[in-house]
Amino acid sequence: MRWLVRQSAWAQCLVFIGGFLLVVGVIDVAFAQPFGMTRPAPSPEYGGVTGWILAKQAEFYRMLSGAIRAAKADGSAAWTLLGISFTYGIFHAAGPGHGKAVISSYLVANDETWRRGIVLSFASAALQAVTAVAVVGIGAVLLGATAKAMGNTVRVIEIVSYALIMLIGLRLLWVKGRAFIASLRPARSNAKASADHHDHAHGHDHDHAHGHVHGPACTHHGHHHHGHTHGHSHDHCDEASAWSHGHGPEPAELTGRHWWKRGLAAIVAVGLRPCSGAVIVLVFALAQGLFWIGVASTFVMALGTAITVAIIATVAVGARGLAGRMAQAKPGTGMILVRGLETAAAGVLVVFGALLLTGYIVSERLMGF
Amino acid sequence: MNPIRFVLAAVFALAFAGAAQAHPHVWVTMKTDLVYGADGTVTGVRHAWSFDDMFSAFATQGLEAKVKGEFTRDELKPLAKVNVESLKEYDFFTYATADGKKTELTDPLPEYWLDYKDQVLTLNFTLPFKTPVKAKELKVEVYDPSIFVDFAFNKEQPVQLVGAPAQCKLETELPREMTMAEGQALSRIPADQVNTSMMWGAQFANKILVKCP
Repeated sequence: MRWLVRQSAWAQCLVFIGGFLLVVGVIDVAFAQPFGMTRPAPSPEYGGVTGWILAKQAEFYRMLSGAIRAAKADGSAAWTLLGISFTYGIFHAAGPGHGKAVISSYLVANDETWRRGIVLSFASAALQAVTAVAVVGIGAVLLGATAKAMGNTVRVIEIVSYALIMLIGLRLLWVKGRAFIASLRPARSNAKASADHHDHAHGHDHDHAHGHVHGPACTHHGHHHHGHTHGHSHDHCDEASAWSHGHGPEPAELTGRHWWKRGLAAIVAVGLRPCSGAVIVLVFALAQGLFWIGVASTFVMALGTAITVAIIATVAVGARGLAGRMAQAKPGTGMILVRGLETAAAGVLVVFGALLLTGYIVSERLMGF
Repeated sequence: MNPIRFVLAAVFALAFAGAAQAHPHVWVTMKTDLVYGADGTVTGVRHAWSFDDMFSAFATQGLEAKVKGEFTRDELKPLAKVNVESLKEYDFFTYATADGKKTELTDPLPEYWLDYKDQVLTLNFTLPFKTPVKAKELKVEVYDPSIFVDFAFNKEQPVQLVGAPAQCKLETELPREMTMAEGQALSRIPADQVNTSMMWGAQFANKILVKCP
């Protein structure tokens, strides 16, 4: 750590951006596998913890069908089903449909707080459950649609959701990219303003009260839209509080219009696409004449999913906060690090959306056949 | 918490966030025959794939049937067509090499069908080799690289050689299931330490090996 602090802002910036891209690279490699199918692909290699999670996920998913069957014979088995659904949700939480990577990139680029990350995670998971129930409820129950018809519906929803991810990314890239370029030019007023802010932040560096941290790390839209003022009462930067000051959310912060407007787009982008597993479970429950038990299972699954996504989102926000604090130690030039990181995260969203949209990344095929 | 540990943990969390994208949503239990011609060459791979009950229920949703809950071969004809046509895109998840060289399989023979028994769908189809194969060592592997579909040979009678010359020896390799101990060992690996010695992914492949000296 000390080594990193001693390096120049440029070096730090490169380290962070490099690290971020490395992560994305890993994600991309994992995604790219269906693409490799047209070639004689090698056997998949999943090692360590990933492999174990994969196995667990599959195990719980398989247990679902048995639990639904059991619930048909004995109503009390429904509780077992809910327990399995919850555990499955925790382990599953995969696929851009569940949007761990998308939510994390969004939070990093937008410099959102960890609390907002948690709200986003839960809201998008809930929306996902609602769309799954809607697709099966309207499609299969009311219209008697075939699996193929439902698959096509999901395909359309997918395209909308992926396009939205890309749009959010493009908008962030525009805002953050410009800020990044501005931070590379010290003569510009933007950088000067940042350096001034630093003085303010420095005094609070180690013992600040929540809501008073306005260091260069705080790069809300507000800075760009409101002429670099710092008087946001509800749109402040509080990543530092994620570490040491655990206190309840301030109502103003969670209801602030700014962030809901931004956040809603992200919730829809991530949550619109129903999880294939949930759709299959719902149809299976319907076939057993237990549609409502399937609905309950879907929502409990979403709860589990939300917990995993929220944890990862919090970690991403924490890492972002760390970068921010390191930037505070480097007046003015430290800004480059933060802006670079944000721009990289915004870029990731764009690439993500584009790859999903063009089918180079296949999330979860609902109609495998 | 040590910041560098934290960053490593964060990187790791995000990495597996991506890597754990896929997991099986469809389970297939296979019975596979290698069909030999009169001249001792292998002409094709005959598959019978049974889907798991959840996917079977999903796939048959909304299909019309004379008897509720029962589907005849005829009633399943349109679905079989969709299955076979979509599988083309994935090379039928079947990869063959003859003496180490990739050998091409073509589109399935027109006689393919779906059966529905005990709430389980079984897809029957034969993939002919482009040119009949005569090899000292023929390897056929079945797997989904994206692991959306989990393939496993039927345990009782996984593979049969139909009309093979007497000297040909058959070996099959089933994907091994992870033991509880391995699972626990994996869970104990600290998040910032990537373990490479416990790779187990290759087990996802189902291998058929025929040696004809």
